[in-house]
Amino acid sequence: MTTTTATLTPTRTTLASWLRAFALNLRWEWTGARQWAGLMVVIQFMMGVGLAIMYGFIYPEITPSTAMYIATGIPTLALIPMGFVMIPGGVGEQRLSGSFDFVWSLPVPRSAQICAMFALYTLLSMPGMVLALVVAAWRYSVPLEVSWLLVPAVLLAALMAVAVGAGMAFAITHPMVTNLISNALIFVVLLFTPIVYPASNLPDWLQTTHEVLPFAHMATVIRAGLTEGVVTDVGTSFLVLGAWALAGTAVTGVVAHRRG
Amino acid sequence: MTTTATLAPVSLELRTGPRHWWAGFRSMITWHLVSLRLWLVLLAVVQVLSGVGFVLGFGLFFEQIPLSVTLFVSTGVPVVNLVMTGMVLGPQLVADQKASHSFDFIHSLPVPHTASAAAWYVVCLIGGLPAVAVSLAVAVWRYDGLPLAVTPDVAPALLLTAFTGTMVGLAVAHAITSPMVTRLVTQVLVFAMFAFTPILFPVEQMPAWLGAVNSALPLRHMADMVRASLTDLPFENLATSYAVVGAWGLVCAVLAVRALGRRR
Repeated sequence: MTTTTATLTPTRTTLASWLRAFALNLRWEWTGARQWAGLMVVIQFMMGVGLAIMYGFIYPEITPSTAMYIATGIPTLALIPMGFVMIPGGVGEQRLSGSFDFVWSLPVPRSAQICAMFALYTLLSMPGMVLALVVAAWRYSVPLEVSWLLVPAVLLAALMAVAVGAGMAFAITHPMVTNLISNALIFVVLLFTPIVYPASNLPDWLQTTHEVLPFAHMATVIRAGLTEGVVTDVGTSFLVLGAWALAGTAVTGVVAHRRG
Repeated sequence: MTTTATLAPVSLELRTGPRHWWAGFRSMITWHLVSLRLWLVLLAVVQVLSGVGFVLGFGLFFEQIPLSVTLFVSTGVPVVNLVMTGMVLGPQLVADQKASHSFDFIHSLPVPHTASAAAWYVVCLIGGLPAVAVSLAVAVWRYDGLPLAVTPDVAPALLLTAFTGTMVGLAVAHAITSPMVTRLVTQVLVFAMFAFTPILFPVEQMPAWLGAVNSALPLRHMADMVRASLTDLPFENLATSYAVVGAWGLVCAVLAVRALGRRR
């Protein structure tokens, strides 16, 4: 009689295996997202362009300064739905259908999975945002002074939105609650956040609140990349956005690593 | 030994007439209020918060908000409050009920379809009117010297606005059979309502062609009716507005009741 012994050696993650896992996960995520990637771009475009047009209707008279604020605030508004609505919605659906547990039981490093997810959705936020910016700049005939700062600004803002949205969706297990928070966030962002108007319009306590929250800082860094002389201090805004992005990533990581 | 069971004679006559209609109407109101009590409480909170949010939030878009702008926002938000339940949230509720199959049960209740639709209208009024009052009160408190002038016309204006909003919603919910399409239509509706209809701002601030499109649709006229009943602002074609909104309400009511009566 022969005895077969199966030895279970713990797998060790090397850089090569991590990169392979990252690439495989990127393909996995893309296959899942492909069917609604077009819809995502359309929603972002509609939200961006629709709002750009709507804000124009609100003002009896559009001054050059108002036009500049709207046109340079629109890219920020176009980045918000991906992170704060679509990702929580997608995770909520995965939870309801049970595929969430399956995806996170795959034998790949969690960090590779999270990085692939964040990278893909950050990139998918780009086309809708660029389209919305182009339409807004054309609609308000605003001369934009695009600088190199725009690249890190947009990438960090988009990544932050994706990371915080994912962190929220991972940490809160009830999809209904996540949905409620998403809707409330959109409402607060559209009306009470200085994205398409200057922060000086707000009462002091609300200005202070927005120094901690990420939304106004998203608008600040993106506006800095599109104009000259309007925004003076971007250092703080980059730091706050970085902190939120790290916090979102940390929460996502902790929840994804938790067993059971 | 044989046991014979005798069944009490059941009247198989078709129950019709005003008394049956009234009983059905009252039962359906009770039915909705009891079965949707949690939903209605949440709805009231959302309605009040969003109404107050718009009234206060619009002020932030301006360094110094002109009084004319505040007047338009304050008198436009009641329209949003009134149509929100019937036109947007109602169809979404029906879509959920269809998806979970509880709709078939409600649909099979022995109540005339017109009584059922009328009861839903009353429920939508209950879901909208408190928010209208709160939004207006907050507007008066926030914006000093807001030139409101409430006239008796406010009753027909608010009632007709809510009626047409509810009937459009019922038509969307029942004439469209797929819940997915219903959800999509309501989402487009709510976005278009805020972005492309002159409810919260004057029609002169949009391109002329968009104003013309809105003249054929009910929302602009609802806003004119409500605004005329709450302010001194001059509106020349108020009769047209009532006619357009009334016509939309009737057509949608017929569509909805016919769709409700369809057998599957």
